[in-house]
Amino acid sequence: MWIERKVLAQEIPAAAALDTRQLCEVLAALGFPVDGVASLEGTESLDVDITANRGDAMSHRGIARELAAKLQQPLAPIATGVVPEGEALVQVRLEAEACPIYATAVLELGEGITPEAVQSFLRALEASPKRLSAVDASNELLLRYGHPTHAFDADAIRGAVSVRWAKAGETLATLDGVTRTLTERDLVIADEAGPIALAGVMGGDGTKVTEATRRVLLESAWFEPKVVRATARRHSLHTDASHRFGRGADPAMVRVARDLLVARLQAWCQAKLIGAWTAGAVPAPSAPVELGLALLARVAGEAVPLAAAQEALSRLGCVVTVAGDRLRVTPPSWRHDLSIAEDLAEEVLRLRGYEHIPSVLPPMEGPPEHLAPGYLQRQRVARRLAHLGFHQTVTYGFVSPEADALFASPDNPAAGRTLANPLGYEYSVLRASLLPSLKATAEQNLRQGSRQVQLFELAPTYRSTPSGPREQVTLATVWGGLLGGEDYLSPARAVLEADLAGLARDLALPGLPAIHRLSDGLFGFEIELDALPRLQDRIIPVFRPFSRFPTVERDLSLLVDLGQSYAALNQAMAAALPTDSLLELRCVDVFRHKSLPEGQQAWLLRMRFQADRTLVGDEVDGWVAAALAAAESLGAKLRA
Amino acid sequence: MDQLLPPEIVEAGRTFPAALAACSDLDALLRLKGAFVGREASHATRLMELLKTAPKEQKRELGAAINGLKQQWEEGLKARQAELEAAKRKLGALAATWDPALPPPQPPCGALHPLNRLMDRLVDVFRPLGFHVEEGPEVETEAHNFDGLNIPEDHPAKASSDTFYLAAHPELLLRTHTSPVQVRTLLRVTPELTARGGIRFLAPGRVYRKDEIDPTHSPMFHQVEGMLVGHGIGMQHLKGTLEYALRALFGPDTEIRLRPSYFPFVEPGCEVDVSCPLCGAQGCRVCKGSGWVEILGAGLIHPNVLTYAGIDPNEWSGWAFGMGVERMAMMLSQTPDLRLFFENDQRFLKAMGGLD
Ligand SMILES: [Zn+2]
Repeated sequence: MWIERKVLAQEIPAAAALDTRQLCEVLAALGFPVDGVASLEGTESLDVDITANRGDAMSHRGIARELAAKLQQPLAPIATGVVPEGEALVQVRLEAEACPIYATAVLELGEGITPEAVQSFLRALEASPKRLSAVDASNELLLRYGHPTHAFDADAIRGAVSVRWAKAGETLATLDGVTRTLTERDLVIADEAGPIALAGVMGGDGTKVTEATRRVLLESAWFEPKVVRATARRHSLHTDASHRFGRGADPAMVRVARDLLVARLQAWCQAKLIGAWTAGAVPAPSAPVELGLALLARVAGEAVPLAAAQEALSRLGCVVTVAGDRLRVTPPSWRHDLSIAEDLAEEVLRLRGYEHIPSVLPPMEGPPEHLAPGYLQRQRVARRLAHLGFHQTVTYGFVSPEADALFASPDNPAAGRTLANPLGYEYSVLRASLLPSLKATAEQNLRQGSRQVQLFELAPTYRSTPSGPREQVTLATVWGGLLGGEDYLSPARAVLEADLAGLARDLALPGLPAIHRLSDGLFGFEIELDALPRLQDRIIPVFRPFSRFPTVERDLSLLVDLGQSYAALNQAMAAALPTDSLLELRCVDVFRHKSLPEGQQAWLLRMRFQADRTLVGDEVDGWVAAALAAAESLGAKLRA
Repeated sequence: MDQLLPPEIVEAGRTFPAALAACSDLDALLRLKGAFVGREASHATRLMELLKTAPKEQKRELGAAINGLKQQWEEGLKARQAELEAAKRKLGALAATWDPALPPPQPPCGALHPLNRLMDRLVDVFRPLGFHVEEGPEVETEAHNFDGLNIPEDHPAKASSDTFYLAAHPELLLRTHTSPVQVRTLLRVTPELTARGGIRFLAPGRVYRKDEIDPTHSPMFHQVEGMLVGHGIGMQHLKGTLEYALRALFGPDTEIRLRPSYFPFVEPGCEVDVSCPLCGAQGCRVCKGSGWVEILGAGLIHPNVLTYAGIDPNEWSGWAFGMGVERMAMMLSQTPDLRLFFENDQRFLKAMGGLD
């Protein structure tokens, strides 16, 4: 809220002595940081941030009250002559508990306009003056004292006025020109023909004050905050009045604000008071709150004398009595946020200044807990991938239905994962897979000129279930573009599926995951993190003896059909070899060339043997011959 | 004649040429030399012992055979040694002509995402104080996201203009903060709270709010929540912990400042400023000349939050804080546009991320 410095100083003269920086610091220390300073209409205004619990501070008077308590300086008295009350000129019936008090007055307007100083004040606070005294005075009072008031054209009101719940289907054209259909939960001001205002939110168009208005009926009331908030939200109608009432106005201000409004109209446009009266009464204050010495000391971090606490709370307007080691505190009528002992402790600390809170490390009361295996797993995988050259991405958890459909399995319908109120169609489905997001990110990187793109993401994916989307932490990687070719020793080549298979093996995946070709030269795979082997509990595994005898290595170059299954060949050859001596059997080269017989390729198979003795050449020769025979049974031939 | 010699020596002799060829350096050759013609426990010494004990009539023939073998081995070893020495000289010459300015092959180098790095760093900072990591789902119930946190029934954050809801499950939403992890964790540990001596944890994670995407807003962002429950916990413990952590993060000269503020789930509540880590509190663009930057919101856990979890607020108390990860990352890196963190350009990730 904008606070104009000159008007603030009228409420608390001591504030005039502070420079802007000092003032901002005091306000921040009180919990009202200043977001900006503006110079408008030749005066300085502060943009004060007021938290939602402090409706009472949403005015110049409210901020002045806080400063007065902190600086221990007096507030200026509110200058109002008491308006004599008499018989009700118009009957006002309070038919709902949500409005316990309603003060009003009827005045006959004379000649005159809003004083220039007030117009300037309104402009400085970005509230444009209407040059209608009744409207401008109401706005000025709101900004200055925080209590919303309203002026009706008295001649437009038909019969008695009541504050009541609307009847379902009743309509009201509000001041903003919108005709609103009301519900039974909307509190309205009504005359005998129907609603004339949404209580605490906005007046009706049919009874508004215009230049033609001769007589006004003023309203200064108190409405239940919950009711005002609900109505404002229901009608998407958030006004200055609904903000104040919605956060809790000061019921003790009801008559005062009416009197101030009357005095302004009398002064500004020679208005003549016809009559003033009040329906209902200020509600009784809520029960006192107790604050114990022990709780205060615990919250503050050190003992605070009861007398000091009593003094601080009194400065804030509380009525405080001492009962043993406790304070019994009745908050002032404008504070609706002080309902438990902790609230009061905060007030004591706030006035002392949070800078006086000591700094202490909390003692350990029990042993610390370990990091969860799942968390450590993710850290380990992320670091491994980063060291292998992959970049971790963070993409939105929601995607378009089309992108989602690319990789969602048929038994995972998007309907169970769709948002009711997405930011837009393209962000409407909680993703079943990370691959659509990574594909788009990778393609964008390639378009930006990346030679090679290596990305991974660790994030939840969602599966529709009857009880809602089930989350599963998922790892996805994509890899594409060109490898090598950036130095004189590494030849360039395109990234292939085989590279992702190698990556899957590096991560110790239990099997080969489905490797998706996402676009030309871009591949990816995705696994649920639970599929990865967990970290071993043992720091160092159990020792397993290994042979100290030398290994023997033999190569076989085989001609095989282009369609030959490597797995079948490998299996057949391995079956022919002694399991206790075979260390490894793997294809270490694939050769395809037109010099080879049509439809054939050459595979170089390497066998490594080891035993608990020195292997003899004849023995190994025999094994190799057996492996060759097994390969030949599948159609392979020894390459000459 | 071979029948006079032990079979293992015959086999060793047979494989000698292959073993010789397999020696790729002088060390390997020396080992082979030791095994065949060394002064102790070599094939040669064994043969000499054999000769001593052989019957007289065999000595001549055996001696000749042994000498033949030894000569063959020694010549082979000598020739291989010459070869290997020549190769070594050649390699040395090649090394002398290698131009180190030629770009060498680069080992691969990826990066962790800067937001993840920052969250990991926070976990590292709090670990020595006994904090562990708690996590919760991103799809949450209204109860965990709002009700358990003392957020009133009609709070504006609950509106569909602020919070994403699931179409098929109106009671489910995308969590708007990491605070529901507080609720879940407290509910879980309540029965064992006394036995374990309270609890202290961090909850890093992704959260969602219905904000349009622009340079300072994102519908998805990250928070780190911290919580501690113990006996007699007050504002001094919050201040002490944050002072320790923020000094570990920003340097030992860092000062912190608590200002009163309001969040429904804490009482008292505060915002915490840290002396500007970019200008050393001298005043700069980032701290708007004030020397302070706002870094997180915190406070003592509201008794209603403890009560909701079944914890007696007369016995237990605690503090909690919540920190915006993007906000801190942008402040520290002076990244001008929040969207860069979600575009995942490899150049950005490489420059901002790093490996640890
Ligand atoms: Zn600075």
